[in-house]
Amino acid sequence: MNQWIAVGALALMGVGIPLGMIAVSSLIRPSVPEQGKSSTYESGEIPTKSAIGIQFNIQYYMVALLFVVFDIETVLLFPWTVIYQPALESGVGLMTLLFPMLVFIGVLVIGLVWAWRQGAVKWARSEAATRRKTEHNS
Amino acid sequence: MVVYPDWAALAPALALAVTGLVLLLIDSVDPDDSRPGLLAGTAVVGTLVSLGYAGWFLASGTGQVDGGTGAISLYRDALVVDGMALFFQAVFAVVTALVCIASYDYLKERAYQAEFYSLVMFAATGMAVMATANSLATAFIALELASLPSYALVAFLKHNRGSVEASLKYFLIGALSSAVFAFGISLVYAATGSLLLADVASALSALDGGLTGVAAIGVLMVAGGFAFKTASVPFHFWAPEAYEGAPAPISAFLSSASKAAGFAVLFRVFTTAFPLDAAGVDWMLLFQVLAVVTMTLGNFAAATQETVKRMLAYSSIGHAGYALIGLAAWSGGAPGSVENGAVLGASMAHLLVYGFMNTGAFLFVALAEQWDVGRTFEDYAGLGSRAPMASVAMTVFMFSLAGVPPFGGFFSKLFLFAGAVDAGFWWLAAVGVVNSTLSLYYYSRVVKALWVDDPVGEFELGGTPTGLYVAVVFAAVGTLLLLPGFAPVIETAQSVAAALVP
Repeated sequence: MNQWIAVGALALMGVGIPLGMIAVSSLIRPSVPEQGKSSTYESGEIPTKSAIGIQFNIQYYMVALLFVVFDIETVLLFPWTVIYQPALESGVGLMTLLFPMLVFIGVLVIGLVWAWRQGAVKWARSEAATRRKTEHNS
Repeated sequence: MVVYPDWAALAPALALAVTGLVLLLIDSVDPDDSRPGLLAGTAVVGTLVSLGYAGWFLASGTGQVDGGTGAISLYRDALVVDGMALFFQAVFAVVTALVCIASYDYLKERAYQAEFYSLVMFAATGMAVMATANSLATAFIALELASLPSYALVAFLKHNRGSVEASLKYFLIGALSSAVFAFGISLVYAATGSLLLADVASALSALDGGLTGVAAIGVLMVAGGFAFKTASVPFHFWAPEAYEGAPAPISAFLSSASKAAGFAVLFRVFTTAFPLDAAGVDWMLLFQVLAVVTMTLGNFAAATQETVKRMLAYSSIGHAGYALIGLAAWSGGAPGSVENGAVLGASMAHLLVYGFMNTGAFLFVALAEQWDVGRTFEDYAGLGSRAPMASVAMTVFMFSLAGVPPFGGFFSKLFLFAGAVDAGFWWLAAVGVVNSTLSLYYYSRVVKALWVDDPVGEFELGGTPTGLYVAVVFAAVGTLLLLPGFAPVIETAQSVAAALVP
């Protein structure tokens, strides 16, 4: 027997079970149409606005991007700190051990300094946004 | 004699990376871009240093087989510096230098100049690493490093809807093909258990039937990822949009350097990692079909265009088809044999010549955009008498792109088609010749517009931008000098191509 048949059977079951459940429940459940059920969240609250057209302040993205960069840096830095001491003791030179990480961090620091100088982390106040907010609250 | 450490062999790529970082530092000190000359100068010097290193290494035999050190493997074979890598790095450096010189004028009075140059440098770094990538993982990372700055650069004119739309299309197709490429890599890894090209090759040869299908699908998907970067069918849709919407120097950069980078990594991966008899799929047949379809589609579409930039974009797809012949006619004979190197080397030499003539042609379009004369063939009418020097250069590019005898493009195509005939694929060469003949029609339309047609209305040219002129003329001189200087180029290219498979 071909082993791929097992994979095919799994796929068949995976698709079949949910489809079957939907089909069976639609056959046996009572149908009570009601307006509240077709609302977006069906939570008792009536949605006031559409989600389309809401704009985020672009500055969140700048901060988030910088965060991601240094988040990834931590991922790479952490295993390095763990092996640092044992590697040093077993005779790996400081140059091969420390220097590449300094270069790596140096590259990121240049990027951070650049972003800082460009005002990426300076929170600029937008007149339009402030106006919208006060209108909304009042 | 001084003994250099092994990593010094990466100098051409490192020079570009350091230049990009230095540009960021300059921009940190002076965020207002008040000294555009300094930024352009730094970028040009950086690319020239990179070119110098690549040329020096090529001349002194670093990483080469005959009379040199042999290929230098770095970081557990993740990167390899050999003749082919250096050859392509020289191409990237030349194109990047031309683009940076031309951008000085193009970017005048625009914001974010430092960002522009540093993004160009980082993309060029990615390309230089692509040429040295010896593992599928580094190939992927380098490809992304080259692609991501390109998306931003295409959208550089951010208040121009065409530029932004082009960038979005480029990004979406790029993301799709990256996904296909990564999936292909994972399938190859599943079948072979390695990402290093040499190990993949040996594992494929030892594969015992069961996983051949998986490996074959992986190989096809990897080919798809490279087809995006080289703007070949079936991932060519982004090219006309991106080249037309992007700032013209960036169109030049993408269609010359980025395409050459795609070919560099395509050549290395397919010749070293996927042996023809064991890859599970006859990829030579695949590339024969792709080459024919790509060049025919590119040339026919180019013939129907009304705007010069879009015509050049489609012609760039056509040239990807010619360059694919290098792999399509790669006979897979004895390792390192002359026949194998001949057609692959001819394809590499064609990419070098193409780097000059196509960059030059797009920079002429940049010049025309700077003068604001319009975009269609008719709008170029009468430019010959107004700007004779640039028009002569453009004429050289057009005839060279078409492959008319007294220009560099003729020799590279001649060697390419002759190589295909020698390898036994006369029909590939025949299709190439027919396509070249067709291409003469639309290239000569530009020349006719420049010199013969009378201008539709009166127009004023706004001065002569020095940087753009220098770049255009330099590209033209390069195209012409490759005529007497073609012998060393083709010899280098063919010997490094023959050395590709150990």
